[in-house]
Amino acid sequence: MRPLTFTRLIVNCLYLAVILFVVMVIALKLGAVPVSLYGLAADLLQVLFHRTSALSSNYDLIVIDIRLPRILLGIVVGASLSVAGTAFQALLRNPLADPYILGASSGASLGAILTLIVQPYIALPLAISVVFTPVGAFVGAAVTIAAVYFLGRRDGTLDSNTLLLSGIVSGSFLSAIIMFLMSTLAGRGDLRGILFWLMGDLSTTLQPSLRWVLGVGFLIASGVIYSTASDLNLMLNGEKEAMHLGVDVPRVRLVVYLAASILTGIAVSVSGAIGYVGLLVPHVMRLIFGSDHRILIPTSAFGGAIAVVLADTLARTVVAPSELPVGAMTALAGAPLFIYLLRRKFA
Amino acid sequence: MRDVTDELGRKIQIPQNIHRVVSLAPSVTETLYALGVQDRLVGDSDYCDYPPEAKQKPHVGGTISPSIETIASLHPDVVLVTKGINRLDTVNSLASLGIPSYAMDPHSVAEILTSTQRLADLMGAAQAGDTLATELRRQLAETHERVAPYPPRRVLYVVWPQPLISIGQDTFMADALRYSGAISIVNEPQSWPQISLEEVARQQPEFLVFSGSHMASASVNIDALAESPGWRILNAVRERRFANTSDAIERTSPRIVSAIAELAKQFHPEAFKVPTTFGFPAGGLPPIPTQDAPLPTEVKPTPRPPQAQLESIGTAECACAR
Repeated sequence: MRPLTFTRLIVNCLYLAVILFVVMVIALKLGAVPVSLYGLAADLLQVLFHRTSALSSNYDLIVIDIRLPRILLGIVVGASLSVAGTAFQALLRNPLADPYILGASSGASLGAILTLIVQPYIALPLAISVVFTPVGAFVGAAVTIAAVYFLGRRDGTLDSNTLLLSGIVSGSFLSAIIMFLMSTLAGRGDLRGILFWLMGDLSTTLQPSLRWVLGVGFLIASGVIYSTASDLNLMLNGEKEAMHLGVDVPRVRLVVYLAASILTGIAVSVSGAIGYVGLLVPHVMRLIFGSDHRILIPTSAFGGAIAVVLADTLARTVVAPSELPVGAMTALAGAPLFIYLLRRKFA
Repeated sequence: MRDVTDELGRKIQIPQNIHRVVSLAPSVTETLYALGVQDRLVGDSDYCDYPPEAKQKPHVGGTISPSIETIASLHPDVVLVTKGINRLDTVNSLASLGIPSYAMDPHSVAEILTSTQRLADLMGAAQAGDTLATELRRQLAETHERVAPYPPRRVLYVVWPQPLISIGQDTFMADALRYSGAISIVNEPQSWPQISLEEVARQQPEFLVFSGSHMASASVNIDALAESPGWRILNAVRERRFANTSDAIERTSPRIVSAIAELAKQFHPEAFKVPTTFGFPAGGLPPIPTQDAPLPTEVKPTPRPPQAQLESIGTAECACAR
């Protein structure tokens, strides 16, 4: 493992930040309405100084009110998924682990579907109805995470293998419930959105209040995971060895498990299950930057953001004016890339 | 026994007189009631909810995976299916039990009417079919006559708001919009395309159209949309220009004609303020055609290759009720 210096960390993150910025500019430029780079810069300045009323035309509004929030959402979702994936791969010491492996995505999907089913029958105040589905999804993820936590304990502490198995079983059980609901309610017109929701989609327009919750939640949970980076490095060599070196393994497991689950819940509650990002980005970053979690976690965050914004830009432009679900894009690109990495590793 | 060709071009053998039928689609059930032959309907699907009496008929399960055993136990002379929402598997399973299925597949308002007449023929109620079709054509012509002088409204039909799903140009719903004096801004070949909000904002539709399945929560939905970033860019949302209609617009049944009239009144309220029978309205509208005026788009059903059509029974479209 190469020694990590602060400079190396900052320089590498800056590289990725520049790539992310370029991807963002491309994503902002592409879409149904044309926009010039100069116009884009002018508009963004107006927004920064809270002078949205000065925006010159409807086209500017489209870019600022539709495209920009969607790109920012993609960044938070992508970064959350990748950091959660990195954390789960370290926690479970399993290269196949991804943010959905412990059933959080199935729990979130079920939560969202239940809100969609009951929504027509209950009169909700406006302020609640606009956030009803994402909140339902987050509650679904949280309940699943709690259940898996209690199922995954052995002798009072979390056991990686038991956690993995109980997560997988809970996930498939919840998926079975979803299949049951979808097949019994298949003819109900108001449930059409479910299918698209399950495929992962970033076109949801979020309430501004939720955006803040997402951003702050992401920063806190990633910060918590980053604070355990050195401990995760030691745990890579085996939990017993880490314990001998003074790592409070049960505490690290609990903290990482909770923080990574919150990140997954955040991502899945607003975008559905976007596959492959949380699995692949950590692997790619590990190939480039090594397996030191102190650099792997921040670079994964950038990598995930880049991957999701790119995938979403493709999803909304390749068949314009129609759109594809972004989950279809990530799976199309992700599965072959995964096979390639796998073969390269053994070659 | 007699040979009949259904709307997918399949040749089926059915008894001379049909005494017992099972319907596997809400639209077919509605059509049977409209023809007045509901006494011979011995079973329908769980989603057959119109007219309300249809709910009292024995149910054979959902439209996608009905219980073949239950259908067989009802001893139908023929099972009525639609290509849009039923699956080829169901038809094949029934065939292996010797139960013939008659498939309907209308793609436009005109085809819904001819399809209704053909079903009437099948049931030996050709007279009722002709009467019904004539009456429906008269109602369509009346609506058309009202809205024809006005330029069509550019509208967005919202199947689902987030993600935004609309209807394709070749659907019978897009055709129904044309009859009601509107045109969908979505010009896609798929039946249920996912549309980018940006594109909608660029096109600025004059009306958003919501269908019946959202009726219960429609008012909340609309207020919620008006609050949403992105949606509030739409002039139609800011100015609350919405049109609501019952779920009849999404079913290939005779009731679609009343849904068309309902929508036309919302798109062109001014067209319905003036009486048509007493001369010309103020404002110099063009002369109103007589009631025998030809329909705007009388389409002959185009023949489709039978096997290719059948193979595609049961695609993603199944999730959507017609």
